[in-house]
Amino acid sequence: MAFFSRRRKKTGPADAKPNTRDSGQGSKKQIAQSLLLSPDLDENLRFLKQSFADCSDVVFREFLFAQREQIKLALVYVDGLTNKSQLSDQVMRALSLEIPAATDNTVITKANALHYVKMRGLCIHQVKETENLQEAVEAILSGDSILLVDGHATAVINGSRGWEARSIEESQTQGVVRGPRESFVETLRTNTSLVRRKIKNKDLKIESLTLGEVTRTDIAVAYIKGIVNEDLVTEVKQRLTRIKIDGILESGYIEELIRDNPLSMFPTVGHTDRPDRVAANLLEGRVAIFVDGTPMVLTVPHFFVEAIQTPEDYYEQALFTSFVRLLRIGSLLIALTLPSLYVAIISFHQEMLPTPLLLSIAAQREAVPFPVFVEALLMEIAFEIIREAGIRLPRQVGQAISIVAALIVGQAAVQAGLVAGATIIVVALTAMASFVVYYSGSLAFRLLRFPLMFLAASFGLFGLIAGLIVIVVHMTSLRSFGVPYLAPIGPLVPGDLKDSIVRAPWWAMIKRPHLVGQNNPVREASGMRPKPPQTTAQKGGDADAGRRQN
Amino acid sequence: MLEGGKIDTWQAVFLNVIMVSATALLGAPAIMVAQAGQDGWLSALLATMLGLPIAWITVKLSSLYPGQTLIQYLDDILGRWPGKALGLLYLLYFTHITSIMVREYGSFLVDVFLIGTPITVVNAMGLIISAYIIKLGLEVLARSNQLFFPWVIGSLVLTFLLVIPEMDLARVQPVLEAGGLQIFKGSLAPLAWYGEIIAFAMVIPFLAKPGEAGKIVILTFIILGLIFFLLVVVGLAVFGPGLANMNYPILNVTRVISLSRVIERPEPLIMTVWVTGGLFKVTFFYYIIVLGSAQLLQLKSYRPLVLPVGAILAALSLNVSASTLQMFSFLAHYWPFYALFTFEFGFPVALLGIALIKNRGNKSK
Amino acid sequence: MIKKTLCLLLILCLLLPLGGCWSRQELGDLAIVLAAGLDSAPDGKIMLTVQLARPSAFGGGDNGQRAAGPQQNNVWVVSQTGDTVYDAQRYLEAKVSRELYWGHTMLLVLGEQIAREGIRKAFNFFSRAPDTRETIWVLVSRGAASEVLNSHSQLENTSAQGVGAMVRSGVGVPVMMKDLSMMLASKGTNPVLPRIELTASGTPQGPGMKENIPQAQTEPSHGTHTHAELTITGTGVFNDDRLVGWLGMMESRGMLWLRDEIEKGEITIPSLTEPGKHLSIRIDRGTTEVEPYYDGQNIWFDVKMRMDGELWEQQSMEKITEPQIFAALEKSLALRIEEKSRAVLEKTQQVFGVDIFGFGDAWHRKYPNEWPALKDRWDEEFKTADVHITVEAKIRRTGLTTNRISQEE
Repeated sequence: MAFFSRRRKKTGPADAKPNTRDSGQGSKKQIAQSLLLSPDLDENLRFLKQSFADCSDVVFREFLFAQREQIKLALVYVDGLTNKSQLSDQVMRALSLEIPAATDNTVITKANALHYVKMRGLCIHQVKETENLQEAVEAILSGDSILLVDGHATAVINGSRGWEARSIEESQTQGVVRGPRESFVETLRTNTSLVRRKIKNKDLKIESLTLGEVTRTDIAVAYIKGIVNEDLVTEVKQRLTRIKIDGILESGYIEELIRDNPLSMFPTVGHTDRPDRVAANLLEGRVAIFVDGTPMVLTVPHFFVEAIQTPEDYYEQALFTSFVRLLRIGSLLIALTLPSLYVAIISFHQEMLPTPLLLSIAAQREAVPFPVFVEALLMEIAFEIIREAGIRLPRQVGQAISIVAALIVGQAAVQAGLVAGATIIVVALTAMASFVVYYSGSLAFRLLRFPLMFLAASFGLFGLIAGLIVIVVHMTSLRSFGVPYLAPIGPLVPGDLKDSIVRAPWWAMIKRPHLVGQNNPVREASGMRPKPPQTTAQKGGDADAGRRQN
Repeated sequence: MLEGGKIDTWQAVFLNVIMVSATALLGAPAIMVAQAGQDGWLSALLATMLGLPIAWITVKLSSLYPGQTLIQYLDDILGRWPGKALGLLYLLYFTHITSIMVREYGSFLVDVFLIGTPITVVNAMGLIISAYIIKLGLEVLARSNQLFFPWVIGSLVLTFLLVIPEMDLARVQPVLEAGGLQIFKGSLAPLAWYGEIIAFAMVIPFLAKPGEAGKIVILTFIILGLIFFLLVVVGLAVFGPGLANMNYPILNVTRVISLSRVIERPEPLIMTVWVTGGLFKVTFFYYIIVLGSAQLLQLKSYRPLVLPVGAILAALSLNVSASTLQMFSFLAHYWPFYALFTFEFGFPVALLGIALIKNRGNKSK
Repeated sequence: MIKKTLCLLLILCLLLPLGGCWSRQELGDLAIVLAAGLDSAPDGKIMLTVQLARPSAFGGGDNGQRAAGPQQNNVWVVSQTGDTVYDAQRYLEAKVSRELYWGHTMLLVLGEQIAREGIRKAFNFFSRAPDTRETIWVLVSRGAASEVLNSHSQLENTSAQGVGAMVRSGVGVPVMMKDLSMMLASKGTNPVLPRIELTASGTPQGPGMKENIPQAQTEPSHGTHTHAELTITGTGVFNDDRLVGWLGMMESRGMLWLRDEIEKGEITIPSLTEPGKHLSIRIDRGTTEVEPYYDGQNIWFDVKMRMDGELWEQQSMEKITEPQIFAALEKSLALRIEEKSRAVLEKTQQVFGVDIFGFGDAWHRKYPNEWPALKDRWDEEFKTADVHITVEAKIRRTGLTTNRISQEE
């Protein structure tokens, strides 16, 4: 029998007693933290009921042990967070009705009840014992159920979590044509399991910690030992433990709290909801941060070129991928500069246009009352409004909005002579281009478009280039966890250009990206370039081998 | 340490090329052709040859005093106060030529593209951007320069390619009509441009591999020689010796390009890129002034000096000459003597002499 | 640091609206000059004529107003005198509500009279003002430039665009502003400019505009008008900056041969067997090399021309598959080219007395040391110089047939 203990933490009040639990509200929590369970079931229950006062979703179920009526048991769990059928079948039914008689005729007494419950009665896989009340409370809150046995100062934590969760669906933010469809969900364990299923290696480490004073959100830091730079892991963990905040509802909280250059518009922490992308990042030597309650997993360090990379790039042909990446860069440039280029050329550098085009644009603009800058600015803002409305509006009215937007803003404005047709084309092209790269990657460009338009309207192309210089210089000065943000372009890392604005075939990418993977640079054997089998006629067997290799 | 950043070899080459060639893109061909006629390209080659000793002296001095910038080793060579005095003179010289550069680019923009915009605004805008870059440090300067450098060179190459239909190499002939003296005279102005390489002495200590300084200047001079040579040859082949009367001859070269029916006159685009080069040149010299002043005054950080120096440069750039004509005549006729025989060649030679004698004295002890 | 950066950005932002109106030119505030003409006016003044585009007449995209309504005048031609071109332009802005914009000027037409008086004083504005282009085509008009510009084109939107396209395609001698400057700067060559004038060119079909020929406009409005189109009709020959005479279209071809500027075209030779019938050969490629010689006294030139051509028309029936006939054709072709060149050479040597072929430049390149002594009297030397022309002409292809299909057996 466990001895009756009232151990205190060193910091706790000097003579805290069980019966002081009801005293002052302020000290209660502190006391509870320091307290251990009592062997008396009623006392434990009383304490838990007090802790969960006014929590209507917490269930206390008392029942009797199957063979010995005097042994009382109690099950405590949060309704909705536990798998109820599992509880009733494998806990209550097993213990109250089916527990087999001990073969050696040992009498089950209060003293050995716990042992029998654990070893013979419970049909649950994950079972853990605790003597700490606080731990029990936290277990209840995170969806486990606890079983209290009368006469024992120990709570059995049953791993019976089970709540209504979104099933694994196709990625909503980064869809692919070729490649795995699954995406992360809101449950941390599911998410880590998705990655673990891709990397079946003991070196994949997933360290847990809890952040948020109130929300107690689970965070997991994942990396592959042996590939990752240990300093990076230390840095990430250090930045995470520095966080003191009441709640963390999304990984965005953490992103803003750990990133370098906090005021920059450019994301220096990556996020994705795709397990394959996280796995690829881990394999390159990055660190992933999982946050419970969100499908968005953070990856650090994050480079600018990642904005134009998608997981699909690595599954499709290298040549086509390179073309698409160049296309994406072009789109980024269009999204950033096209409106300002238009403004600059139309109101400063008319000589650049061929004469017929100039005359045609002049004819279109003849009726437009505004300067081209105002016109373009209005249309850009109108477009941003339509886009925002498109995201927020209820699905059912989506069609109505698109009709209104297309008809009113497009057709009618041109016909009414409020805007020139050329302006509409420019704005539409800009809008489309900004969707080519993934959503968060283009946010900075969407925003920077406007100051560039101001500059272009004031100084023409020279204002535009001045703005671009400032943007590029700013980007060069950015770092993400010690790594230059614009790498491998500025500073130039020639070896890494293979997987930046173009992609080399897999057999040519022998090394990991230098700046994140230099700890363990080689990722594949060299000389894997597929070749036709040599001397097919002479060696049939070898030819087969060659074919297999291909 | 005032500057924590390191720059690698190629970044240094690019910085040097931009540092010398950016302003030369605008006016240098006209100055050479004005003296040497259609033999201007020979002047360009001659200047490259003559420029090499200056570069050698710059590198040699730095190798005698490793880890020290020009301003710092002046103290060691000349002693405390004379060294400080010469350091001050160097800073004033850098300030002067930087303000000329700012003015040159400002008036180029205002003359040609932004007619009606006050030059004050253009200069101020350029200097504000420079100040921003300098605040971020040498490393950011070198990296962003590396990012823009290919565009500057690319636009130059593109210009040369696109203008081929308008070129006629017969206009470069007859060769050697001008005579040696005229060719030499024509090479003085570009030589003064090459002499700006002395500013490199201010950043040699921040090289990742200081031992490669010699390699850097050789590469720089190869690229520069090619640029100067092509500028003059292309200019002459398009316009003949009439080039001498143009304010911005290479601008005129780009103006005859026509990508038929796509972009009628691409020169604003091309010029914009070149102005980027000019901005980095100004930034580099601006940085050197700020760094040098901080070293002269033995400050812990150069950042407090950025804005005051910028204000001085802006004010000077407005008053450094009364008109474009005056500025170009200064660059063509007086600048070579003013810069070359003192700060760019005369002083460094004297310094190297003293340093070598001192070193020998030390060794013999 | 951040604060300071923000402050700087704020200042910059506050500065920008101020900058809004410095050098911005809204498209709607510009009067786009498509062509400019210069004539001499009394008291040594210059009359500037500009052809301005009227954007509203060009119609935007699909609104179809242009097709439905009566055809509008695409351009506005307006003249003004002044002491200089820029002076005239400033006066002109009292008439024209928008700012004159020279960035798209394609043509500069010099009137016959101002050309005879000297063109140096007239065109400096166009190579100095940053707006204008070095690539403006310069032409000289028979008669006043103002009349020539007062025209429109049946195919193109404006007559300026029409002429621009024609000159670019190599009809006549193409001369850009920069070429004219270089020709004027060189002692070894004299300028030539293509000549344009209005010629009667067909009758417009359907409801058209009042046509270009002045006398046609005075006629009653019904009935057919003769339409006059701007036409390149030859070349104006200059002695330094003064017009001294004209070359016709045929002579212009010969001149292009001698200047090594032949790009495309056609040569017609008489038939060898049947008098009065002809053969036409398309020029694929033509090159000319000029080799100057000097023995201390006399100057002479060896001019070698080479031509590759393609037979495209044959009126007569000779069998070109016969090697002798074919060789004779090529010889006759060479002779024809030599004749054409010789004719224009003799005319310039004897009638105008100016070197318009750049022979002086070639001589300069070969004899740079002797050049300074000769350069100021080069045209005198040119008049008496011997020129030996040798032509090597080849017919490389014969189109789709060899002999004529209708050839009798």
